[in-house]
Amino acid sequence: MYTCGIDVGSVSTEAVILDGKDNKILSYAISPTGSSSKNAAKNAFEDTLNKAKLKSRDIKAIIATGYGRINIPFADKNITEISCHARGAISLFPDLKTVIDIGGQDSKVIKLENGSPIDFLMNDKCAAGTGRFLEVMAKAMEIDLEHFAPIFIKTDGKVDITSTCTVFAESEIVSLIGQGVDKDKIIKGLIYSIANRITSMVERIGLEEPVCMTGGVAKNLGVVKALEENLGVKIKIPDEPQITGALGAAYLSQNIG
Amino acid sequence: MNQKYIKRLLGIIAKKPILYTYGSTFSSVSDKYLNIFTIESLRNAYSDNSHPVGFGSLFVPYEMLHALEITPFPPEVMAGFTAGLGIASQTIKQSASNWYSQDLCTFHRSASGALELDVFPKPDFILATNLACDAAQKSFYIYSKKYGIEKNFYLIDVPYHYSKESLQYLTGQLKNIYMDISSKTGREPDYSKFREIISLSNEFRNWAVKVNDLRKDLTEYPPYFNALNYILPFHVLPGTEKAVTLYKHMYRELKKYLAIQQGKNGSKGNLPKRILWLHLKPYYKSEIFDILKKENCIVVFEEINYVYWPELDPLKPFESLAKKMLSHFLGGKIDNRVKVILDIAREYKIDGAVLFSHWGCRQSNGGARIIKDSLKKLGIPTLVIDGDCVDRNNSSHGQIKTRMQGFLEILNSKT
Repeated sequence: MYTCGIDVGSVSTEAVILDGKDNKILSYAISPTGSSSKNAAKNAFEDTLNKAKLKSRDIKAIIATGYGRINIPFADKNITEISCHARGAISLFPDLKTVIDIGGQDSKVIKLENGSPIDFLMNDKCAAGTGRFLEVMAKAMEIDLEHFAPIFIKTDGKVDITSTCTVFAESEIVSLIGQGVDKDKIIKGLIYSIANRITSMVERIGLEEPVCMTGGVAKNLGVVKALEENLGVKIKIPDEPQITGALGAAYLSQNIG
Repeated sequence: MNQKYIKRLLGIIAKKPILYTYGSTFSSVSDKYLNIFTIESLRNAYSDNSHPVGFGSLFVPYEMLHALEITPFPPEVMAGFTAGLGIASQTIKQSASNWYSQDLCTFHRSASGALELDVFPKPDFILATNLACDAAQKSFYIYSKKYGIEKNFYLIDVPYHYSKESLQYLTGQLKNIYMDISSKTGREPDYSKFREIISLSNEFRNWAVKVNDLRKDLTEYPPYFNALNYILPFHVLPGTEKAVTLYKHMYRELKKYLAIQQGKNGSKGNLPKRILWLHLKPYYKSEIFDILKKENCIVVFEEINYVYWPELDPLKPFESLAKKMLSHFLGGKIDNRVKVILDIAREYKIDGAVLFSHWGCRQSNGGARIIKDSLKKLGIPTLVIDGDCVDRNNSSHGQIKTRMQGFLEILNSKT
């Protein structure tokens, strides 16, 4: 029995096909969402089918999740990213107590008990503390986002970024660069500004170990390190953190019908 | 939309045959009376020149206005209507032009904008209280300045603690306000009228208690019925026949629904999860309650409909009303509110609570953490939604939907 989970995020769309026989991931795909969540979901789904050498009729059930979950006509059901990320993370680390997910548009902290979500918090209605914030800043600094982590690790000292608003933070760093402030210290400050926002969310909900981090930003080891430092814990990272929501959706699809 | 237009519109709708035909379009009897009485009350405020008009903040003792034959007009409730009518963006924009801070609650901002845009009738008196709401006492004073009636502005100062001295102090204030308005309107104080009003308020209270008791077992409601829409009758109309009639009809209607529900008990199926709603709701079109229905959850009670005050003594109207105000669970320490919430949670066998944390409302969102932690001790999860009851542009629709759906998924995953 094969099931599929599709996570339609604001920046990227992920699809995962799961083999129910041994709960192995048969294939997955990650693609940019672009302007149409419907097309993005369709493309990601077809991509995973091709990689797994399956036809759509081979898939027993599909669950859509993420902000674009409502508009996927071929999905059997839609479930929020809260339930899907929790399920995906638990499948990878069964004893988890806390999941931190930082995606393109939102960030969330999910508290788990006996493998099920019992509480969660999400960021308020702005891009601060999300992947989008980092993307905008990387663009403003003309530095590839993938360079942020090595810079974070090698740099001593940071410059605090005081603006919460992404647009104002962008102006702030442009102005700092203009003043000749070391770019590496600005990058370190940016990473801490995200980590500090997430830390306060984790503290509000109550930190409990083990902690796992999912979502695209979990690939940025600078953010992971800053969070580990703030929280004083070691954070588990899945091999492919970006597909955790889709993976959870594929697991939850097993309960359909 | 301005006062003239509303007057003309109410003049047409509020004619009895049209009004009752309009009322019959509602599928719920309670909603029918709610709408009819709301329109009649508004018509009186806009067009009946034989009685003075009194603005009041939500928690003032409206019985006093009824006893003085002052037509009540509650700007905060009307701000909710601006949201429902889709004009809140204009009224809020207008308030911004008048230097109202964006940090202020939108019930007060929208009301101030409506007032500036001449949407409200001109008041003769303004009553506000510091009970629960900090913004009301200030914004209502600004309203009085706008109309040039500062001398007819009364602030009812409700003490933080309930004590003998507090009761005396508050009773004295209410009596002074009553006497002052009496003399300003040239009317002799009419205590027999006041006793009647207090008796009617008690009658309303008894029906409201009966409704609330009945709701402990009720999960089948009339279509589109939402008890969060009954702010005007519950807070403004006590002391009138209207409030009694409405709650009497509501009791009878809900009793019928309870009988239908009990008749279905053979096929119990998947029982809905029981939600306690804390604070208010969005008064513009919102999907929140559709999500609840879709996820097989039902709001079984709302904190705002809790009958918190003891029966009033018609022979001691001022003292009784002072007791009513001092009994409010939103006054004093947060512990008072928490106690009421926990009592409701137990009595209504709540599975989960939703606190709609309205933008700028300190009394609502200030206690969120304590409320959440207190309910957690009873094993009840709470969702705190940061939103706006009036300004739809200040609420992210998608984010609220995800939070709500996520919370209900968690609730439904529990056995």
